[in-house]
Amino acid sequence: MKRFPFFAWFIILLGILYFFTPLAGTLEWSLRIVSRDSFSLNAYTNILISERFQRTFTFSFLAALATIAVSLLLVAPTAYWVHLKLPQLRPVVEFITLLPFVVPAIVLVYGTVRVYSRPPLSMMETEFGTNFLVVMGYTALSMPYMFRAVDSGLRAIDVRTLTEAAQSLGANWFTIIMRVIFPNLRVALLSGAFLTFAIVMGEFTISNFILPGILSFGPYMVNLNQTRTYEAAAVAILSFGLTWLSIGMIQWLGRGAPGQNQQIGGTR
Amino acid sequence: MAFLELTNIHKAFGHHVVAVENFNLKVERGEFISFLGPSGCGKTTTLRMVAGFELPTSGKIIVNDADITFTPPNKRNVGMVFQSYALFPNMTVAGNIGFGLMIGGKPAGEIKSRVDQMLNLIHLPNYGDRYPYQLSGGQQQRVALARAIAIQPQLLLLDEPLSALDAKIRVELRSEIRRIQRELGITTVYVTHDQEEALSLSDRIVVMNSGKIEQVGTPFEIYNFPTTAFTASFVGQLNLIPITVADAASGRSTFNGISLNTSQPTSLANGTFAKLALRPEEMNFGKVAGKNLLDGKVESITFLGSIVRTRVDIGGSTISVDLFNERKITLPQVGEQVTVNFPAHACWILE
Repeated sequence: MKRFPFFAWFIILLGILYFFTPLAGTLEWSLRIVSRDSFSLNAYTNILISERFQRTFTFSFLAALATIAVSLLLVAPTAYWVHLKLPQLRPVVEFITLLPFVVPAIVLVYGTVRVYSRPPLSMMETEFGTNFLVVMGYTALSMPYMFRAVDSGLRAIDVRTLTEAAQSLGANWFTIIMRVIFPNLRVALLSGAFLTFAIVMGEFTISNFILPGILSFGPYMVNLNQTRTYEAAAVAILSFGLTWLSIGMIQWLGRGAPGQNQQIGGTR
Repeated sequence: MAFLELTNIHKAFGHHVVAVENFNLKVERGEFISFLGPSGCGKTTTLRMVAGFELPTSGKIIVNDADITFTPPNKRNVGMVFQSYALFPNMTVAGNIGFGLMIGGKPAGEIKSRVDQMLNLIHLPNYGDRYPYQLSGGQQQRVALARAIAIQPQLLLLDEPLSALDAKIRVELRSEIRRIQRELGITTVYVTHDQEEALSLSDRIVVMNSGKIEQVGTPFEIYNFPTTAFTASFVGQLNLIPITVADAASGRSTFNGISLNTSQPTSLANGTFAKLALRPEEMNFGKVAGKNLLDGKVESITFLGSIVRTRVDIGGSTISVDLFNERKITLPQVGEQVTVNFPAHACWILE
C-alpha cells in the first residue's frame, strides 16, 4: 500500500490557507454591511444597481474587447511570421514582449503623457484620444501574456509544413492565416484573450493617469475602497469571480478542442 | 520539349553552403522520377525549388513550356505530399481533400463529387467525416495524397512520404502510390533515401550526392551499370576487392597473385592499384571452370529471410556472398575453407 503523502498535502494546505484566508475575510466583511451579527447581500445589490459601477464596468469591458482585438491583430501575425520566416529573431521579439514586466506601468504612463499631450500629437485633449491611448497602453501590458500564449500554440503545430501544404493547394497568405493557422491556434488565442481580459478589467495605473476622472473599473474599485468599504469588499469578490471565470473558460475550451491531445501534423 | 525541365540549377544558402550544383534534368510527361541520395545531398532542396518553397540562386525551371522559376508556390498548380502528412488538424478528411478546390472557387457540388471520387481512389470511401487524429499514419498519408491530386496538379511532388510509416504499411502504400500515379498519368517527382523505394517505384532514378547528380537512369541501369563509385556503393550491396590492373585492354587484373577477368577494358594503366566491384548476389560457392575463383574462409553467416549472406575472408579483404534461400540449401560452416566463383561479366574495375 502506498503511504499517505503527508508532506505534500501539508504544503497544499498551507498554500490554500495563504490564498483563501484574505479572500474569506473579504467575503465575510462584504456580507456584514447591515449589522455585525447577520449576513446580508446588500453590499452586492448596492453595487450592482450603482450607476458608477455599471458605467465603469462597461467602459473597462469595452476597452478589454478593443485591447483583445488590437493585441490579436498585432501579436498573432507577428508571432506567426517570426516562427515561419525569421526564427533567429524570436529571442528579440520575446524580449520586446517582456518589456512590460521590466518597465513599470507608471513609466509607460509618463512617456505617453509627455509625447501625446503636446503638438503634433496632442491626443490627451479629446475623449477619443485618451480612450485610444489607454487601449494602446493595455495592449502593451497584455503583450507578454498574449505573445506567450500564441507562441506556445504555434509550437504545438507544424506551422511551416501546414503553411507549405496550404500554399501548394493554392492558398494565399490571408487564407492560410484565417483558415489554417488561426483555427489551429484557437485555444492559444482564446487563452491569450481571456488573460488580456482579466488584466484590463483590473488595470489601475494607466487608467488612472491617462483617463480624465474615474472612467474605468480599476480606479473605481480603488476609489470605492476609500469611501465605501463594504461595497469595496463586494467588488473585490466580484472581480475575483470574473478572473476565475476567465481562467475557467481557458481550461474548459482547452479541454474540448479536437485533437489537442493528439500529435498534430504527424511525426516530426 | 520535356514536360519538366530543370536547367543549370544552382542553390546556395549564404555564401558557403552549396546545396545544389549544376543540376540539369528533363522529365517527360507522365514519368515517375525519383531523387535518391543520402541526407544532405540536395534532393529535398531541389524538390522544394520545383514546388516554389525555395528559389534557385541561378538556373531555370520550366513546366509545360512555362518558366515557373519565380512563380509563387500557390500559383504553380503543383501537388505536394510531405513526410509529416501535414493534414490540416482542424478540418475533416473531406475538408482536407476539398481544400484546394474550395480555394480554387469550385462549386460545392463539384467539390463533393471530386472528394468522393478521391476517397474511392485511396480506398477510404467512408472516412470523409473523420478528423486526421482519428486516422492511422498510413491512412493520413493516403488522405494527404488525395488532397494533393484532388486539384489535378500538373506535377505531383512527394518528399519522403513513407519515411514515417511502419515497414509493412510502407510497402503497401508504395504500390498504392504507383497505381494511382499510373491511373492518373501524372508526372511525379519522388524524393527518398530508400533505394528499395526508388528502385521499385521509378521509371528513372536520379542518384544525387553532395548537391550534384551522380547518375540518371532506369532502376535496371542504376543497379546493374552504375557509372560512379558512389552510385555503385549507395545503391545495393557492393564488394570492393583491391586489385592491380594487369592488362588494361582486356580488363584483366590480379588480386594476391590470382588472375581475375572482367568483360570490359579499363582506361587505367597496367600496374595501377584499383578496386574491382561486384554484387554479392552474382557470386556463388564452388570451383566452376571458366569463372573467376577466389579461395577464402567463411567468417559469418547471416540469415536474412529470402537470402543468406555469408562473409568470406579472401586474404586481408572480406567480401559478402549472397545465396538465395531455399529449403534444400546447403550452407558452409563458419571457419570452413571455401572457393568463391563469379563470372567475368559480373565484375568491373572502378575508375
